[in-house]
Order: sequence, then structure tokens, then C-alpha cells
Amino acid sequence: MSRLVLKFEHAVMKEVPLGTRPVTIGRAPDNDIQIDNLAVSNYHARVYLEAGSLVVEDLNSLNGSFLNDIRIERAMLKDGDSILIGKHEILVDQLNDAVQPQESWRKAPVPRVNETMILDTQQRRMLLDAAVAAGERSQLSPDRLRVPTLIVISGRTDEKEYRIAGKLTVIGSSKLATVRLRGWLTPDVAAQINKHDDGYYLGRGDRVPKINGISISGLTKLNDGDVIEVGRVRLNFLYRE
Amino acid sequence: MRPFLHIEAGARTDLGRVRKNNEDCYSIDPSLQLYVLSDGMGGEAHGEVASQLAVQTVLTHCRQAENSRATPIFGESSPDVCERTNRLASAIHLANRKVFETAASNAAQKGMGTTVVAAWIDSQRLSLAHVGDSRAYLLRAGSMDQLTADHSLVAEKVRVGILTPQEADASEMQSVLTRAVGTNGTVEVDTDEQALLVGDFLLLCSDGLTRMVTDPEIASVLLTSASAQESADRLVDLANENGGVDNISVIVLRVAEKSESVFERLKIWKRYSA
Repeated sequence: MSRLVLKFEHAVMKEVPLGTRPVTIGRAPDNDIQIDNLAVSNYHARVYLEAGSLVVEDLNSLNGSFLNDIRIERAMLKDGDSILIGKHEILVDQLNDAVQPQESWRKAPVPRVNETMILDTQQRRMLLDAAVAAGERSQLSPDRLRVPTLIVISGRTDEKEYRIAGKLTVIGSSKLATVRLRGWLTPDVAAQINKHDDGYYLGRGDRVPKINGISISGLTKLNDGDVIEVGRVRLNFLYRE
Repeated sequence: MRPFLHIEAGARTDLGRVRKNNEDCYSIDPSLQLYVLSDGMGGEAHGEVASQLAVQTVLTHCRQAENSRATPIFGESSPDVCERTNRLASAIHLANRKVFETAASNAAQKGMGTTVVAAWIDSQRLSLAHVGDSRAYLLRAGSMDQLTADHSLVAEKVRVGILTPQEADASEMQSVLTRAVGTNGTVEVDTDEQALLVGDFLLLCSDGLTRMVTDPEIASVLLTSASAQESADRLVDLANENGGVDNISVIVLRVAEKSESVFERLKIWKRYSA
């Protein structure tokens, strides 16, 4: 029996068996795989069988679906493939049905706590905190290159997504601005992000930005997954591998 | 809504109340909006030689680069910062070479060196480069942040969590630098960039100020002075009142809005949008 395995920062969070019915993935609660993250669209992608082949299809999501690190609209899946949606990874596990009974005969059945796991707010918070801690550790390891990225959730900007490069990232209407805000009366420098040795820091400009709904009081370090609010623009700060 | 920034500068260097000579040095080029400050070290009068040579080299190199893009770049350029910031770092690399070579050719000057902190403003962007424990602070909307990380033993220990900031302030090892200009054939230069806003204050200073005057005291002087020069004078006076154990140097920059006629603004606007 084939299945999809949802993982977040290497922790298995959910497994969904693949049958004849398509498996939907998105932020809305009625998805088969619900991912409660602002970087994920309400109905983000789906996986289904077509003429015996497993197919993944992006449902015109804002931030895209990635198959083995390549952005795709529609692609065939094979065993071991990895679909990346936001920060969540979905692994394709296509077990050969003939092998299955033998496997279960050889090994005692292992209880899978993950199978029925439901993500409540508290668990998610714990996982996020663990992930942030893990993220901070892995940032220190030189073998993994993680690209800081700003994804526009809402508001008027010139792009939908920005890779942060360099020491200074200005959010505003200024010529210096990387994240160019549009509209009348937008401040020249609404906020700025500075690269320090240990990470990225958000500082105020003509506006006091918010991180996860709380106004900052001075330079504040950005963590993976933070939501930045500057005026009417909301940005998701993510480290992408 | 594009403000035109006007930078008002004030500066002062002072012997302090204990030292016999002033090894600090600063220089300002208003036309380039380039501000450089240094704190020399080395016996006799050699600290002065090092700090003055470094400041002069930084200014000369940046002026040359403004006139000729073919001016060679010293040290490695970083893709993280703009051309101007890289140029400022290049100037400090060159200063390092000059101080080092001067010291090498004169046995008495062996081991002399200096800190350098330099700021260069290009319309709205502030480029910073530094080596040593002279600092740059930005005071914005009532909160003051140190933009530079000291290259001193105690500061490095605080950064890795071996010392608390309080222990560092009380340490006798405060004067031990981990980097200086001119003590080695090559040096690593730190750079930073900021977008400046109307109402900002930028302070460059030697440790003769920061060891005598606390950050909140510095902020209150900046906020309550009538001019940048008055701030600079009051900061030096305060450091002397609190002991003045070292030379004291400060450069204070106030970022104000340029008052221009509508006609001038239109001209500039046309130039920008061309």
C-alpha cells in the first residue's frame, strides 16, 4: 500500500494512505493533508493516480510546490520523491504490495503513533519551537546552505518573493529598497533587515514593524517562519534550503 | 515622499585628564560625506603616527576612487555590500598595509597600530567599516544600537557567552584587541550598511568615551543638544568629568531633512527619475 508521509523538520507528522481518491494538500481544514502555515495556500496541491501512475499537481498556489527542489506545476511521482510545500515535506512511499505481507511477517508490527496524530495549536507550537532551535543549530553547520527568503502574504509589493542577499534589506519605496512597497504615501524606509554574524535582524524605519503580531522594540532577531507586518504588507520570513 | 537628507556634523578630540599625548585622530570630508576616526597604540608618539596615517590613507583612497573608478581595490570585495562599502573596506586594507610597512621600516615603531571606524553616506545609504574597538552607534526613535562589534578579547568572550556584558565592563582586559590596523600584514575588516532616516543620530567614538560615559547618558546628550557640535563637546566634557582616563574622540552626525525650494526639488526629482 502506497502512502504519503508529511514531515516537518524531519519529524513525521502524518501519514495518508493513497487510494483511488485524490489526496488534497492545503491550509484549509477540509484537506486530506492540512498544513496550518501562512506560506501554504488554502488548496495548494493534490496527489492522485492517473493510468496507474502517481501524479502531483500544484493548484496554482501562491508559493508553489517543489518536487525534489524543482518548482513544478504537474509531475509524475516515484518512490522516494520529496514534495516541498512551504516548510513541509511530503515523502512518497510506494510499497510493493507483494512485499508487504513478508515485511509484516518478518517484523513485529510497530505501533505508529504518528498515524493518528492531529496537530493542535500546542503541539504545533512545540514542534515550531523545536524546529526553530534545530534551525538555529543547522544554520551554524557549513554544509547546509540556507537562503533567507521573504514571501509576500498580502499587500502591494513589486514582487511576490524576495531572496535576501546582503547586509542591508530595505522595505519601503526608497531606491535602496529590495522589497519595494507600492501605493501613495508609502514611507521611503518603512523597515529594514540587517544581516549580523548570527542571523538576520529586523529594525524599524518610519514604521514600527510587527513580528507575529507584536510590535518590535528595537532590533529583533528573525526566526524561521516569522510573519513580518509593515503597514499593510505581511511577509513570511523563511530559510530555504 | 522622498526626503532629502542633510547631514549635520560635529566632532572633537581631547587628550583626557590622564594621558600625556593624544593618540586619537579623526577627519571629515563634508563634500564626500566621509567620516573617519581612529585610536592609535604603540609607545612614544607612535600611536599618533599610526592613527593619523590610517585616517589620512582612508580619506585619500576614497577621494581617489571618487575621481577614478580605476583606483585599485585592496582586500577582498564582498557581494553582501555595495561598491561604496567595499571601497571603504578597501581603504582600511590599504591603511593597514601603509601602517604595517611604515612600522616595519622603522625599528622604534615596531608594533604600532590603530583602530579605525569609518562612515560614508551616499544620499540615504550609510556604509560602515571598522577594525578594533572604536564604535559606531545609531540612535533612532529613542533607542540606541551599537552598529559595530568590538574586536576586543572581552567583547569576543561576551559574544560566545563566556563573559556577561557586566563582567566585560569590569574586566581589566578591556584594552586587549583581537584586531588592529597595522599590526599584521593583512587584516579582516568588518562592514555594515544602514538606511538613514530623518531624525537619526550617528555617533563614531573611541573607547575613551564609552568607558567613561554609559549608553543612556550618551543618548540623552544627543537628544538634548541644540547642534551636533554641541553634542560632541558635551560628550567629551562628560567623559572628562567622569575621569577622562583615555583620549576621547567623537564624531556626531545628525540626519535632518534638507530644506529646498520646490523648484530645486523638481530639478532633483527629474534627475532621479531620468
